[in-house]
Amino acid sequence: MDIKEYIESGILEAYALGALTEEERTRVEADIAMYPELADELSVIETTMHKLADDHAVPPPAFMQEQIWNAINPGAEERTAPPSPPASKSVPLIPEDNRQRQPSWLRAAIWAAVAVSVLTNFMLLSQRNASREEQNILAAKVDSMAVEQQQLATVIGAYKKELDMQADPAMQTIVMRKEGDSRMAGMVYWSKDKGEAYLALHNIPMPPQGKQYQLWVIQDGKPVDMGVISNDMVSKDGMVQKIAMTVASGQAFAISIENEGGNPTPTQVFMVGAV
Amino acid sequence: MLLLKQKSRQGFDYLYGQYSGALYGIVRRVITDEETARDVLQEVFVKIWNNIDKFDPTKGRLYTWMLNLARNTAIDKLRSKGEIMQGKIQTGEDIVYKQEHGLKTEQQTDTIGLKAIVADMQPEHKTIVELAYFKGYTLDEISKALDIPLGTVKTRMRKAISLLRQHYNS
Repeated sequence: MDIKEYIESGILEAYALGALTEEERTRVEADIAMYPELADELSVIETTMHKLADDHAVPPPAFMQEQIWNAINPGAEERTAPPSPPASKSVPLIPEDNRQRQPSWLRAAIWAAVAVSVLTNFMLLSQRNASREEQNILAAKVDSMAVEQQQLATVIGAYKKELDMQADPAMQTIVMRKEGDSRMAGMVYWSKDKGEAYLALHNIPMPPQGKQYQLWVIQDGKPVDMGVISNDMVSKDGMVQKIAMTVASGQAFAISIENEGGNPTPTQVFMVGAV
Repeated sequence: MLLLKQKSRQGFDYLYGQYSGALYGIVRRVITDEETARDVLQEVFVKIWNNIDKFDPTKGRLYTWMLNLARNTAIDKLRSKGEIMQGKIQTGEDIVYKQEHGLKTEQQTDTIGLKAIVADMQPEHKTIVELAYFKGYTLDEISKALDIPLGTVKTRMRKAISLLRQHYNS
């Protein structure tokens, strides 16, 4: 920065005359702080301003001195006579007076604070209780939803398994039908090579009280027992279950209705499906 | 300084005795109404009294600080009471008008402005000092009011102060 040019510009005079905006003033003050030459120049300008002020001094009316002192030092008015000694005495009087007054408003303030605090705590507590209840309800909902979801997943899994088996080219699909009711279906998925078979039931009603369904495979015209079908499986519509026994050969599959526990030979055929 | 910081009556009396004239002089040059000027002077002393603890001697001189306080308080009052006192106080334009007349008639430059003793000071310099210092105009406002470039305003300020400097040093 060219200090000489800066000084010649008259910005320092403008500063001393109070003609700068806040922003300009801040900048000039920063410059002054940085360059001692500017501070020196400003000092000379200020001295001139002091002389100007001295030269143009106007004594205020005589009563002003007392009036201003009273304004500066409230309480001084009470004393009429010698100003100096009582003035210094009266100063501590004010704080003492305040000290006595303080506790009353302080106490009020503390009580108010305590009241607000208690009220706030109560509100927070009841709010917390309410939110806890809500939380419990929500937790229960989440639990029941989890159960539902699990059930759904099981069902979907069952369907998917059935679809997979239908898609498997090595798997034979045998559909057992009840005569006169096309809605009911017993599906047997049979992998002849492995001797594995799976059963899925669709829209089959629960058997009458004391009765059970039983699965058969017809080998060379003779029904071979493949085990009883649990009522649980009947209720779980579409669920695929592996048949416990190996099925090496067969021309047809059948379901009969038997007394609970099953029967060595089928007594009442329910549905049949040929391979 | 120590007396002032003790805030004793003695300190006040010293302060008042030393500076009340100069401070009142500035206030009166900003505000012509005597009653208002007295109120402002009182306000100035209250401010000095209450802020004397915060005054940092390393950052500036006490006298400058007090003069600026008086000048700024007076200008604030002038602006806040602008409407009420319009009849009593001359506006910046009035001063300019008077200065221009002063150029021709060589009269009445002393009603509110700088003393005529600054004889070697051209009216163009005087006006700028008055507008800035006693009316609170910024550089930009002076430039617009007098229709002269901003740079000229500043150089005239420098010229005016240097003339004053010469005057008081001689």
